[in-house]
Amino acid sequence: MHPSLLQDSVRGCPKEIPHNEKLLSLKYESLDYDNSENQLFLEEERRMSFLGFKCLEISRWVICGLIGFLTGLIACCIDIAVENLAGVKYYVVKQNIEKFTEVGGLSISLILWAVLNSAFVMVGAVIVAFFEPGAAGSGIPQIKCYLNGVKIPRVVRLKTLVVKVCGVICSVAGGLAVGKEGPMIHSGAVVAAGVSQGRSTSLKKDFKIFEYFRRDTEKRDFVSAGAAAGVSAAFGAPVGGVLFSLEEGASFWNQMLTWRIFFASMISTFTLNFFLSIYNNKPGDLSSPGLINFGRFESDVSVCLLLSSPKPCVISLSTVCLVLNPVFNILNYWLTLFRIRYVHRPCLQVMEAMLVAPLGPDQSEDYPLQLFCADGEYNSMATAFFNTPERSVRSLFHNPPGSYNPLTLSLFTLTYFFLACWTYGLTVSAGVFIPSLLIGAAWGRLFGILLAVWAVPGKYALMGAAAQLGGIVRMTLSLTVIMVEATGNVTYGLPIMLVLLTAKIVGDYFVEGLYDIHIKLQSVPFLHLEAPATSHWLTAREVMGAPVTCFNRIEKVGTIVDVLSNTSTNHNGFPVVMPVAICGLILRSQLIVLLKHKVFVELARSRLTQRKLQLKDFRDAYPRFPPIQSIHVSQDERECMMDLTEFMNPTPYTVPQETSLPRVFKLFRALGLRHLVVVDSENRVVGLVTRKDLARYHLGKHGLEEMQLAQT
Amino acid sequence: MYIFQVVALLIALLYYGNAQTSTVAVNHTILGSELSADGLKQLAAIVAPQSPVFHPSRGSYFSLNLLSAFPEDLEVSDYCVELLAIFGQRYSTYVNCLVSAARPVKVCQNCYGSYDNLMDIYTNISSDQMGPGNVSCRDSLLRSDRLMLVFLLYNNLEDIWTGSECNSCVSLGLHSLTNDTLYFMATLNQSLRCFEKFQQGNHSALCKECKATYRGLNELYSRMEKNRTLCIDIEDSMNMTRRLWSKNFNCSFPRAENVPVIAVSSFMLFLPIIFYLSSFLHSEQKKRKLIHPKRAKSNTSLVNIQDRLS
Repeated sequence: MHPSLLQDSVRGCPKEIPHNEKLLSLKYESLDYDNSENQLFLEEERRMSFLGFKCLEISRWVICGLIGFLTGLIACCIDIAVENLAGVKYYVVKQNIEKFTEVGGLSISLILWAVLNSAFVMVGAVIVAFFEPGAAGSGIPQIKCYLNGVKIPRVVRLKTLVVKVCGVICSVAGGLAVGKEGPMIHSGAVVAAGVSQGRSTSLKKDFKIFEYFRRDTEKRDFVSAGAAAGVSAAFGAPVGGVLFSLEEGASFWNQMLTWRIFFASMISTFTLNFFLSIYNNKPGDLSSPGLINFGRFESDVSVCLLLSSPKPCVISLSTVCLVLNPVFNILNYWLTLFRIRYVHRPCLQVMEAMLVAPLGPDQSEDYPLQLFCADGEYNSMATAFFNTPERSVRSLFHNPPGSYNPLTLSLFTLTYFFLACWTYGLTVSAGVFIPSLLIGAAWGRLFGILLAVWAVPGKYALMGAAAQLGGIVRMTLSLTVIMVEATGNVTYGLPIMLVLLTAKIVGDYFVEGLYDIHIKLQSVPFLHLEAPATSHWLTAREVMGAPVTCFNRIEKVGTIVDVLSNTSTNHNGFPVVMPVAICGLILRSQLIVLLKHKVFVELARSRLTQRKLQLKDFRDAYPRFPPIQSIHVSQDERECMMDLTEFMNPTPYTVPQETSLPRVFKLFRALGLRHLVVVDSENRVVGLVTRKDLARYHLGKHGLEEMQLAQT
Repeated sequence: MYIFQVVALLIALLYYGNAQTSTVAVNHTILGSELSADGLKQLAAIVAPQSPVFHPSRGSYFSLNLLSAFPEDLEVSDYCVELLAIFGQRYSTYVNCLVSAARPVKVCQNCYGSYDNLMDIYTNISSDQMGPGNVSCRDSLLRSDRLMLVFLLYNNLEDIWTGSECNSCVSLGLHSLTNDTLYFMATLNQSLRCFEKFQQGNHSALCKECKATYRGLNELYSRMEKNRTLCIDIEDSMNMTRRLWSKNFNCSFPRAENVPVIAVSSFMLFLPIIFYLSSFLHSEQKKRKLIHPKRAKSNTSLVNIQDRLS
């Protein structure tokens, strides 16, 4: 027997271990994606006219358009704010440098610069660490989890959006080695979640529209649209956005949803383009479809040469991927683990961010910097550093051969690599797309310069950027399309795809993608595409949780309240049995609404004039259902009975005990379930399968491994 | 159905034949003028003209032989030919001026007069007003052929003018240089005179004496940069002066603060290391409490699958 297990059973107290990535947290629940088809729902459908259904369809389209429009606007605001803030900061520092350089006070200017950067970053870190820790990082791991079906707390709230937008503006203006694309995706998702509900719970305003969409099923679909709109605004890649949502939420998909998501992303990029053109006083120019613009790539012979270049080139390109990409992820993994274990107090997190800031490259406009140079000359290394990363990437792609010194470039690559690795994971809102592109473009260009024979170095820079980004985030399908759309030339599709595939295959051998690492470190019960291979011998009986707390169809209120108030087990779904065979499934949220409205059998008889409970009451309480502690039930009321027949889901999905794990997994994931009841041959409830039960199995180095649950 | 297809085929063939014949005349892009039938025939008869063509009696600037073959209404009028000749003269004057002022760049100061003249004659040519004899030279000179040579040549020069931003240095109407430019030139001359005075021997004397004028020049230049009243002449002369100062005379403002800068940078690099070390040593490590959920008893009493497999 396993020694620790023996110790536990002897000691009888739970073990405490330092945080690692092989844990699953209890605080993450699944979304209620599966529809509860109780009698109320059937009644509503009966009452709704054909016109009502048509209106619903049209309102879905209207919401998607609105999501796209608002996401584009937010992207526009972020861009303009960053530009202005960075410009102001740079102006102040430049004045200071010009004043003090001659006198010998360059160190003073340096300190001033560091202080300004730290100040911006401090503001950004403070609002994230103290007001909304969920807005830290790029937001893509959280959205990936949300689309997977995990209810990440506070991920799509208005407060998160505000903190995220302000945070990203401060981080970028403060000169950290970060990008604004990841936060854009998160913002798009929050906008979608907010707009589709037709009300703001934080601001306590209800516009009384879109009430039909106030449930997890619809909200999740709209969040996919929001994420796609965010990608589209960030890169000017509408199709890439759609594919991003597809790649992340692939199991629950339908064609109408794809159409609507595409509509949302198109509107998003067009809105951004339109408003940025107006801001730049060139209305109708429409030349900035995304926050990042790679410039115009022409199809020419060099692409053919790239593809047909002899094997050594391609192999050595992949070799560099082999070295750099896993190294980035592994370093960041250790750093994040350290941060979770030791730097967990908010003030420490803010301090850490402030310490990184002065060392980051400045991200202002392309003002050349005369450091240690003759009059009229400018430091080329400084110019490479002191440019916005977007502009640096663009110049790496398009500058004519000979513009960059190989030594400068390699130094820059190395420095920026470690800086970007260090910066990602800080408690600030920041993305990792642009830094990876910049690192990749730099070493790609270096590669091209050293090769110097076939293709223009700029094209190698593009390949390098794709390789590095692909190796870090490991998105294949959507990333290919995003890059193709961002370069504006389909001819580059094949080389980019080959490079991304190589990076993914090589990288997967060593370590996972960056976002997957962070998801694991946050202990989220993420369900992958399939159950781990070689797990067919595991049956539902071993996977399920048992025994299950069930209710009778007519249950005493006191029992219900006691079960719900039991803090040792935080159950959310209860099978309803009558007398032993299963006849339905009821959720905690539904029970709480019933208790709040005091829908008791005794009271119903005496309350003939009062209206019956409708689906609207459940929707009003969604999504923040009150906790059981806030519901007061008197002693008399505890003796009453509650009839669950009308409100329970009469046809929950069930599986027999002998079902294999992959089969259970497939059913669970494809339908987006939250609870799956395991029954025996007489339809009696034997166990309940939830997300945590399924997510703990994964294929490790020594075969099938099990992750442990922990309180976080 | 079959008949329709045949008819459609015939019609398509007809159009194709028509298209072929019309491509012969595609080079000829006279706007608004009707071509008579025999005019077309004569044009088609001429395969390739040997050299530029004008009537010999119309001035000796161009060599002429073949236009006598062209009919009257296709010729360029006398008035327009004159304008064209003037344009050519002013063009070469301007280009000569530009080339002679190429290095060091003085294109704005030296050549604004010739550019003014060139602009006048081009405006004349391209104006809508009818000249004597009720002819408009714009169409016949500027837009009669695919090449549009006159238009191209003038546009090139206009681009050069715009690229050198000479409009910032020359007053409106191109009559003279602006006051700012003249003041800058005067200051520049002052500095250059100072350099000349102390050029021999040790440059340290030069660095000391001319520092004030040089600094004044720099400040003036920065001010003008902010107001955007710079043209290429000023930029280039400033650049040359700076190079003289820094490279030839080695007078750059001493950067004696290398040490403080390096100290500050290394301090900033050192701080995070201290931070991480202290948080490692002093913060309590975040521990996680393991939870063992209730599971059904399986066939064997072992719950951990590692043991089951081993």
